[in-house]
Amino acid sequence: MAGLVVGLMIGLAIGWWLWPVQYTNTSPSVLRQDYRDDYTLMVATTYEVEQDPERAYERMSLLNPQDPAAPVIELAERLLEAGGSIEDVTRLARLARLLGTVPPTLIPYVEELEVQS
Amino acid sequence: MRSLPTRRAASLTGLLVGVALGLLYTWVINPVEIVNTYPALLRTDLRWDWVRLAALSYVVNDDLEQARTRLEGLRYEDVSGAIQALIEDYAAAGLPADTMRRLTTLAEALDVHTPAMLVYLHTPASSSPTPIHTPPPTTTPTSSPTPTPSPTPIPLSTSTSTPNPSQTPTPPTLSPLSTPTPEPTVPSPTPTPTPPLLVRLQLARKDSSCQPTQAGRIEVVVKDEHGDEVPGVTVWLTWPGGADRAVTGLKSQGGAGYADFAVEKGVNYTLSVGELGRPLVTNLRIASCEPEGGRQDDNEEKAEEPWTSSWRILLEPPPIETEE
Repeated sequence: MAGLVVGLMIGLAIGWWLWPVQYTNTSPSVLRQDYRDDYTLMVATTYEVEQDPERAYERMSLLNPQDPAAPVIELAERLLEAGGSIEDVTRLARLARLLGTVPPTLIPYVEELEVQS
Repeated sequence: MRSLPTRRAASLTGLLVGVALGLLYTWVINPVEIVNTYPALLRTDLRWDWVRLAALSYVVNDDLEQARTRLEGLRYEDVSGAIQALIEDYAAAGLPADTMRRLTTLAEALDVHTPAMLVYLHTPASSSPTPIHTPPPTTTPTSSPTPTPSPTPIPLSTSTSTPNPSQTPTPPTLSPLSTPTPEPTVPSPTPTPTPPLLVRLQLARKDSSCQPTQAGRIEVVVKDEHGDEVPGVTVWLTWPGGADRAVTGLKSQGGAGYADFAVEKGVNYTLSVGELGRPLVTNLRIASCEPEGGRQDDNEEKAEEPWTSSWRILLEPPPIETEE
């Protein structure tokens, strides 16, 4: 019984600390928050060059498959709150519109947005 | 009562079973949770896409430091492979020269090289970074809190190498085996040194042709005084607000002295060689044209396709004058 307990402890130590599961081939959804922000901003900026809506949607789906627009809006609002770059906010607002959701806070940053009155 | 060997065997068995159960739990049932990873751990295609995103963001915002920061921690092979692929794809797709210039500037800064970027290196950009229309905001921000990732960086060398295709090999110096006895000689006139080919090149011929294409083309052929085509000559095409360059001999379909440019209608182009030196041909314009003898295609759609003028320019030094 003592051997079993000691063995179990050794096994836990190996599996969690000494030799844990090594993850590779990960997706953007498990990136650290600052990298996820950077990824979102790069997708928004790159859309200006590529003008490829499908590709932008696919990329943001990797970050949040259920709601691809959520990280975009969340970052844009955080930048607004922190007094971030207007250009970045504008790019994010455009991407949010492309993904189908523009919250009221971002409407002024979306050019030619048709506001239904 | 069990014997000592039996107890030892039981303990050892228990130990092994315990280790196995521990590993089963930590590796399969409840492994280390994967959160807060970094770009180097992304799947290969996603890592390459990360590099592509960083490069294209640089095209828009022209922020080299930000691009470097975004690429830190990635292996050089991923960075170079993705950027080379991007440049080659975009060159093949014929993207605007300004986009290509920025991409090649980034590639050079990261010590990435590909033949497709050769013609865009060190050419002046015609405008500021890609503009973005910014509508009036509701607030006035004062700082830019762009997140700064900080994984373990890999050194991305900034050294650059500039190919010099027009280097002339120095002929070996022959040393005399014996000292010749001086003999009275008839003084001969001091030969005038021949200036370099680039200085002597001039417009030898300028032919226009009408092609069944939408885009125009300016083809250039550089020859020496013997009529041989000269490879490795940098040919510049400049126009109001822009410049492009090509190096002769890089196109497989042309000859050793051939280079060409895709050009637009209605723009005045100037052709020169060397480092943006004196213009050799000015006011080169591309326009719509009608083929000689009219259009003879029975197919109505083809008959309506636009025809565009193209230029073929021959640059050649004047013949060497020999004294009788």
